[in-house]
Amino acid sequence: MANTETISNLLTRQDTWRGRSQRRSRPVVSTGYSSLNLLLQGGWPTATVTELLPRQFGIGELSLLLPLLKDHSNNGRLCLWLDPPYQPYAPTLSAAGIALEQLLIVRSKSPREWLWAAEQSIRSGALLLAWARQQAPRYTDLRKLQLAAADSSNAAFLFSTISALSAPSPVALRLELESLQVNKLLLTVRKMRGVAPGAQLQLPLIEPAAEVGAERTHLAQLPTDRHHSYDYDAGRQLS
Amino acid sequence: MTTSNHQTKDIWLYLHFPLLPLEALLPQLAPEQKQKPIAVIDLQKNTQRVLCCNSQASAWGIEPSLSVSTALALCPELVALPRQIEAEQDCLQQLALLAYRFTPVVILHDACGLWLEIAACHQLFKGYDSLLEKLESQLQQQITAVNGIGPNPLAAQLLCQSDFQVALPSDSEIQHRLATTELSQLTTSRKQQQSFKQLGLRTIGDLLALPRTELSRRFDAQLMASIAQLNSEKPFNAPLFQPANSFRDLIQNPQGIFNKESLLFPMKTLLQRLCNYLMAKQCHCREIEWHFEPLIGESRQMHIQLSGSQNSWSNLLLLSRLQLDQLELPGSIEQIILLTDQFVDMPMGMCNLDLFGDNNSAQQSCELIDSLNARLGIDALSQPILNQDYLPEQASTLATPGKHSSTGINGKSKAPQPLWLLTNPAPVHLRNKKLYWHQPLSIISGPERLCGNWWQSEQQRDYYLACDSNGARYWLFRETSSQRWFVHGLFS
Repeated sequence: MANTETISNLLTRQDTWRGRSQRRSRPVVSTGYSSLNLLLQGGWPTATVTELLPRQFGIGELSLLLPLLKDHSNNGRLCLWLDPPYQPYAPTLSAAGIALEQLLIVRSKSPREWLWAAEQSIRSGALLLAWARQQAPRYTDLRKLQLAAADSSNAAFLFSTISALSAPSPVALRLELESLQVNKLLLTVRKMRGVAPGAQLQLPLIEPAAEVGAERTHLAQLPTDRHHSYDYDAGRQLS
Repeated sequence: MTTSNHQTKDIWLYLHFPLLPLEALLPQLAPEQKQKPIAVIDLQKNTQRVLCCNSQASAWGIEPSLSVSTALALCPELVALPRQIEAEQDCLQQLALLAYRFTPVVILHDACGLWLEIAACHQLFKGYDSLLEKLESQLQQQITAVNGIGPNPLAAQLLCQSDFQVALPSDSEIQHRLATTELSQLTTSRKQQQSFKQLGLRTIGDLLALPRTELSRRFDAQLMASIAQLNSEKPFNAPLFQPANSFRDLIQNPQGIFNKESLLFPMKTLLQRLCNYLMAKQCHCREIEWHFEPLIGESRQMHIQLSGSQNSWSNLLLLSRLQLDQLELPGSIEQIILLTDQFVDMPMGMCNLDLFGDNNSAQQSCELIDSLNARLGIDALSQPILNQDYLPEQASTLATPGKHSSTGINGKSKAPQPLWLLTNPAPVHLRNKKLYWHQPLSIISGPERLCGNWWQSEQQRDYYLACDSNGARYWLFRETSSQRWFVHGLFS
């Protein structure tokens, strides 16, 4: 009796791999890009921290989150930007349909304050966009944030420098961002819960000012892992 | 004695606080002192006499109007405290505030008492009995109270019992009690009491039985007014109690408080009083101010700004605590003061009856902003706002949260604009006729000319879109006057 209970407990866990059988659907929130939704199995995972690692600032890492920011802020929920590298430019944000009064910029003075503010914001249902301070957050700090996110069922984003990629991270999703050409990002999955890393996606970005009508999906490279090719095949049929 | 001119019969409650002079001073005493026999002394008839004392002192045979020397002779370890009228008045205000939550008709009586009209509000409390029980249980936490109930304020005062009665007496019982009350309670004038005696009048019943015209010939207008009041013929015109327009309350601690943890308890008491006040006024506060005053030296102040409004003491305590952690306090705190005069009406539907949780996310974000403010300081938070200006650094500025007026020139620009703005434009170097900022840049499109500030120092700029070899895009401008290049933003 106790054994079957243990097994069923194990089976209901999200990180138990069960071959080709149907995975329990994870809570996600749409990214606003259909090809990216496919890559991430539905959208940005909620109840976890997502780490984005752009090769440099200015390549479109923020445009990636604009659709989510727009939805979130127009639902009257707070979006908290913790230590952004530059000043956000209000006219562009407003043109992208983001409700500026729901945007809050927070500057921390120490790693302790940074961690505290990030955790508070995750726990109180705000959408967190945090930029790592010069001194990269420690593993235990990230784990704290990850646990807070798991408790609160919110999406949270952390922008780290590319050098952080060499260090392990407790977050459930790590995406490396690289610019292929102007307005086109190459996304590489560096870590994703329940999925082998390495999948890549070329993503043309939506220009915030002028809505680009047709968004083309192009998968650069199919992942080598067999049981993932299923998802992408399905994705191809859809698109 | 029926009041035919009244639609509903008034029922007045008189609350008397026999130990008010003593109990008003208790918060200032150290805990070990409270167990000792204590008496409050006051100057009466040129001698210091006992005004009231606690039960420990009564056990030693000390009673009111005993002179201090006699009292000390009876009980050498007696703690004799001088009377503090101000502390009594503050205490009475607190009690009036508490009573104000039961009924809007509250009248202060100088001689440590309160009048309450309770006929108008008994339905709210589902009957007099439950109203009186509730009132008693709330008063008990603060002070010793006794009461009297009557059809008019004067009768209620005369019928004041030696304990708190929680049942409403019947009309005939009230009449009987009033009729048997001794006349000596009605007036303190010697002369009048003498004439009562001469007339053979002993109780109020005897007095009221006499014809009014006969009485008016013998007694002065004041007594006639009292009789009219007792018969509920004259309305009782005294100013009604109104909560003050601003809140200021303090807790004194002559022993001094030495650490922050022990500050929290008096702070909690003050915040609870504030919330009673807010509840009575049916409003929320927008900010609070703490003053911590040490025995020697300057006082420390702490402002807590709220993004929304609050009337919950636990939330306010949490925020105060966060900010207190950042505050440097002098060695020992003698006095804590809580002030506020920033109120807003209680928002409609904020009575914890929020069935569907619509308010929830807005409330949560307010709480988040408040706690960030309290911990990180007010400068740490900002919000981008749109302004009516063409120059980018003026079109988008940062403001403190909650003060947004987003009216910008929107959608005028056809050219793409960046998401990031550099607070100070960074100069771009020219090397071999190529633009260079961290790495070589090449221009994709432009220019778009923006002019602004023509009334003081004219700025004319040509904005270009540039990218580097990695595909990152920049917003550059060239100042037409100086021909110099700057990076002003990053597309992201």
